[in-house]
Amino acid sequence: MADLLVEQLSGFGLATIMARKGVSGMAIGMALGVEAPAQPAFCRGENNLALIGTGAGSWFAHTDMVSPAWHTALRDRLAELASVSDQSDGYMLIRLSGEDARTVLQRGAAIDFHPEVFAPGAAATTVIAHIGVVIWRRDDDARGRPKYEIATFRSYFDSFRRWLDHTAAAL
Amino acid sequence: MSRTDVNRLTNGGLIDRTKPLRFTFDGKNYRGLAGDTLASALLANDVRLVGRSFKYHRPRGILAAGSEEPNALVTLRSGAHAEPNTRATTVPLYDGLEATSQNRWPSLAFDFLAVNQLASPLLVAGFYYKTFMWPAALWEKLYEPLIRRAAGLGKLSMLPDPDHYDREHGFCDLLVIGGGAAGLAAALTAARSGARVIVADEDVMPGGRLLSERHQIDGILASDWAARVAAELASLPNVRLLTRTTVFGVYDGREYGAVERVSDHLSAPSSGQPRQRLWKIIAKRAVLAAGAIERPIVFGANDRPGVMMASAISTYVNRYAVAPGKCAVVFTATDSGWTTAHDLVRAGVGVGAVVDARPADARHIELARRLGVEALFGAVVTEVHGRVAKAVTVRTAEGAPRRISCDLVAMAGGWNPAIGLGSNLGARPIWSDAQQAFLLESCPPGLAPAGAAAGDLALGDALRGGVHQASAALADLGIAPKGLPSFSASDDFAAATPLWQVPGKAKAFVDFQHDVTVTDVQLAAREGFISIEHLKRYTTLGMATDQGKTSQLNGHAVLAAVIGKTIAETGTVLSRPPYLPVAIGALAGHHRGQDFRPMRKTASHRWAQAQRAIFTDAGQWKRAQWFARSGESEWLESVNREVLATRGSVGVCDVSTLGKIDVQGPDAGTLLDRLYINNFASLPIGKARYGVMLREDGFVMDDGTTTRFAEDSYFVTTTTVNAAKVMQHIDYARQVLWPELDVQATSVTEQWATYAVAGPKSRALLQALLPSVDLANDALPYMGAIELVWKERVCRLFRLSFSGELAYEISVPARLGEALILALFEAGRAFDVTAYGTEALSVMRIEKGHPAGNELNGTTTAADLGMGRMMSTKKDYLGRVMAGRPGLCDPERPRLVGLKPVNGRSLIRAGAHLLSPGQDAVAANDEGFVSSAAYSPTLGLPIALAFLKLGHQRHGERIIVHDPVRGADVEAAICNPVFFDPEGVRVRG
Amino acid sequence: MRIDCPYCGERDAQEFVYRGDASLMRPESEDGMADYVYLRDNLAGPMTEHWYHAQGCRTWIAVTRDTTTHAMLGAIFARDGVR
Repeated sequence: MADLLVEQLSGFGLATIMARKGVSGMAIGMALGVEAPAQPAFCRGENNLALIGTGAGSWFAHTDMVSPAWHTALRDRLAELASVSDQSDGYMLIRLSGEDARTVLQRGAAIDFHPEVFAPGAAATTVIAHIGVVIWRRDDDARGRPKYEIATFRSYFDSFRRWLDHTAAAL
Repeated sequence: MSRTDVNRLTNGGLIDRTKPLRFTFDGKNYRGLAGDTLASALLANDVRLVGRSFKYHRPRGILAAGSEEPNALVTLRSGAHAEPNTRATTVPLYDGLEATSQNRWPSLAFDFLAVNQLASPLLVAGFYYKTFMWPAALWEKLYEPLIRRAAGLGKLSMLPDPDHYDREHGFCDLLVIGGGAAGLAAALTAARSGARVIVADEDVMPGGRLLSERHQIDGILASDWAARVAAELASLPNVRLLTRTTVFGVYDGREYGAVERVSDHLSAPSSGQPRQRLWKIIAKRAVLAAGAIERPIVFGANDRPGVMMASAISTYVNRYAVAPGKCAVVFTATDSGWTTAHDLVRAGVGVGAVVDARPADARHIELARRLGVEALFGAVVTEVHGRVAKAVTVRTAEGAPRRISCDLVAMAGGWNPAIGLGSNLGARPIWSDAQQAFLLESCPPGLAPAGAAAGDLALGDALRGGVHQASAALADLGIAPKGLPSFSASDDFAAATPLWQVPGKAKAFVDFQHDVTVTDVQLAAREGFISIEHLKRYTTLGMATDQGKTSQLNGHAVLAAVIGKTIAETGTVLSRPPYLPVAIGALAGHHRGQDFRPMRKTASHRWAQAQRAIFTDAGQWKRAQWFARSGESEWLESVNREVLATRGSVGVCDVSTLGKIDVQGPDAGTLLDRLYINNFASLPIGKARYGVMLREDGFVMDDGTTTRFAEDSYFVTTTTVNAAKVMQHIDYARQVLWPELDVQATSVTEQWATYAVAGPKSRALLQALLPSVDLANDALPYMGAIELVWKERVCRLFRLSFSGELAYEISVPARLGEALILALFEAGRAFDVTAYGTEALSVMRIEKGHPAGNELNGTTTAADLGMGRMMSTKKDYLGRVMAGRPGLCDPERPRLVGLKPVNGRSLIRAGAHLLSPGQDAVAANDEGFVSSAAYSPTLGLPIALAFLKLGHQRHGERIIVHDPVRGADVEAAICNPVFFDPEGVRVRG
Repeated sequence: MRIDCPYCGERDAQEFVYRGDASLMRPESEDGMADYVYLRDNLAGPMTEHWYHAQGCRTWIAVTRDTTTHAMLGAIFARDGVR
């Protein structure tokens, strides 16, 4: 029996943040009250806001519980510091947890998910089954099992689910 | 049930006598045991004939016991699961296995095509370059069909593969290729030190030759030692022990490809289980412990059933408890051949003689005495007699011929280190006189050979070699070894003096699978094909599915002898991935059928399906092409209806697939000015503008509308298929060309669902949907844009028109996309709203002369498209300089025009070419081509857009549309490409 | 083939889009524009190339790679590049 839980998440918020010229990650982090990681990583701060490193000088802002004015509030806080684009509708989010979650990811992406290499707080933008994905690892669940979240573009979602279901069936 | 496995020995073997299995071969029932391979089970049942050879259809038996087997190729399973060219020696037997022999008709015993042997003087090396050439006319009618029927070994089922395959990615410090003595020693060394280790072995359990020979390691039987080590490795969290897994290729970047046979050994995979799994392994270091492959000896009729590799005979006796014959002659040039003689005697098989080509020595004389066998030193077997071996002729050291009866001939010609993988990246192996073998001198980065693959054939040396290479790898990686294991191993003797060939009259085979004989190699050399690479291609030696594992070196030696060079001088060829055949399905994995590539769906996809839309592909997107209504008999009816309804009232089309990019920052306008031919830095907030981007070579790359929402915020759109390309282009410009600009860009294609709402009633429909928004012409004029709130989210409304009608594009956050299409159709009921797809969209834009993909084909300029005046003369932009070169400014370049058939009804087709009336249809008279065509229900006739030399000066003239591929020529009138409402009155309403 | 992206780390080459020789400087004026667009050296040995990490961080990088041995000799952000 495979130890894998697949959940489609809703109610989250995502936005692209790209630093303006000469603005450091630190300045952006200070404006938002969260660490803005310089490498691919998932950094959670207070107020249910996280920053995920997606490139040099660019991040996803992430919240588990979005409100209609969330991204405009972000934009206001980052005025002059960064360009902000709402992406809450552009992506679908899937959560994979359980002992077999790592195997599923390892069957999809050509990056190393060994716990020493991809520990809680790690993140990566890569590709699974020809579909672009952003993957980050949350803290382990209450039973100490790994928990990952995968963002894919909305239009690819059905194709991604087909890959996920076929791969999970082979566990 | 009576026993059929008459050759099964009563004791010994790693088979499970408590688990009998049933199988069939060529329809006959047999029994075997768990742990058998198909080959061992066939031999146990005294099945001597397993196939017919490729060219001559000679009867063939099993030669070897491993994946180097060239003869015993069978078709496994039946129906859609049938897999041809499966080596019986590597198929684990399972209950209910079905196998059939190949390449014979009507049966294995009576193969009609064996008549080829009569033609053998014609079928020599290179015959296909010399025969079937004349008369040329017979090639297509006779020769090719004949060759196709006779060619190939197995046959495909031609049915879709019902199995599925998946993939996994492995990462490790050390990849150990091969789980024999050296491999296990290397793996243990690295694993105990905490390194991440992956071990890949092609067999069902690790051990390699240890499972087939009777060595001792650390005081226990070597096969037990192997099991113990395998258990320790499997228990360690830092080790992945992959059995039934073949590493098939070495690639750049320390990447290794492997195939794991997940369920091939079962009668059927369980639900959801893949048949095979492709592994892509990134290994910081690798040890090639793939062992060595025993060489046949080349002598007369050495391909007869009953002639087998000596080491394979030992494997069948020791591992599978099968005696492959009753009375054997061992023909050897090595010490390992004597081990086989010993194994046979111990198993109770008669050994008629050991024919050792080397001079007598005391040790072997003593061994012969102890075994009670006759030894003939300095002697050679010159020929095998019988359709299936029944006797051999031996030429003794004195030169006298002697006939010895036997039904089994063991060949022990020496050992070739299995270094194939090491030459995948182009490093050529080097001949070692000391080892009398080709060895890897330079290796792929990070890889080193160990054990027999490195020429260390003796067991103790192999174990030490494995430990040494693993510890070298650990040292390289900065991992401290936790003690280096050492093993005590029983002695074994590995001396060999190669004997490449025995001269004689009977056909002597070098390559069994491709039926290449000594005569063929000699002929090739006589005809001038003396390079080792030419030898391979001209004779096809080493080009069969076994890639010459048992033939390559013997061929090199025969060639060397003919041309009077040493083997070191002739050199050797490279091995190509895959090392063993790999099913295409394993490489495709998940990506077959509807999953061949991902499918992208818009927010209205489900709704469109419910409306009976017919979908088309636009890149990876599915777009509704038209919406079929009951009563409509063909697509043209639907499309005409959609066009007329949109122009007559209002239509809605999903245009979400177009690329959308947020370009933001203080220098956003500056960047856009450098990318578009026209001005955007000056675009007022709340306005949209059509823009064209060029490539640096001056040709048009893409077009779209860009809207300014704030001082520092632009919303750029692109065509559907160029979305990624334009994003890449924008990123190149801002990151590489002008990093000093303060501008950021990100794709928001997926964030917004967008619908075109077009037609005279479009404003009314939107007003009904959005009662509180002022949509009057002066509040939202043509090319204006506003933001509004709908269902608590910020949405956008643009006054844009691709159709030429009064039209809008409404964009909502994508999660509201389905709700919006439903709301539009609810509000639209009062206005007879019609859904329209890409066909109607296309008809309308052709009616309005808008360029689209067919016109933006990468070979047209802005001037060709009639947009020369859009090119700013006051700023620099990408492509400006090259667009100004004489060839692109030539006024005679074909220019965009409209065409109408003079008779008002003949179809004009895209791709047709244009000729002036009366001109011959030759390339020199070609004046242009048709780029887009459609039937216009608005105008009631077919229309087309075309590029015509000096077209803008020739409105009103006639032109011939020449379409030799599809049909008759059409006389057309040249006109303004804007066929309908040329003043653009409707769009500004 | 693996490319060591300065932001993401080592990745499969399929995540990237290849553009070409990174040593070319876009001319400010018309002189040399035709050569910049069309002429390329065909190097046997180390070469620096522009690659776009399309399926990763969407950054243009400059990769130095030996065209004969395929050895990867390093990668930096293109904006920090060899100019």
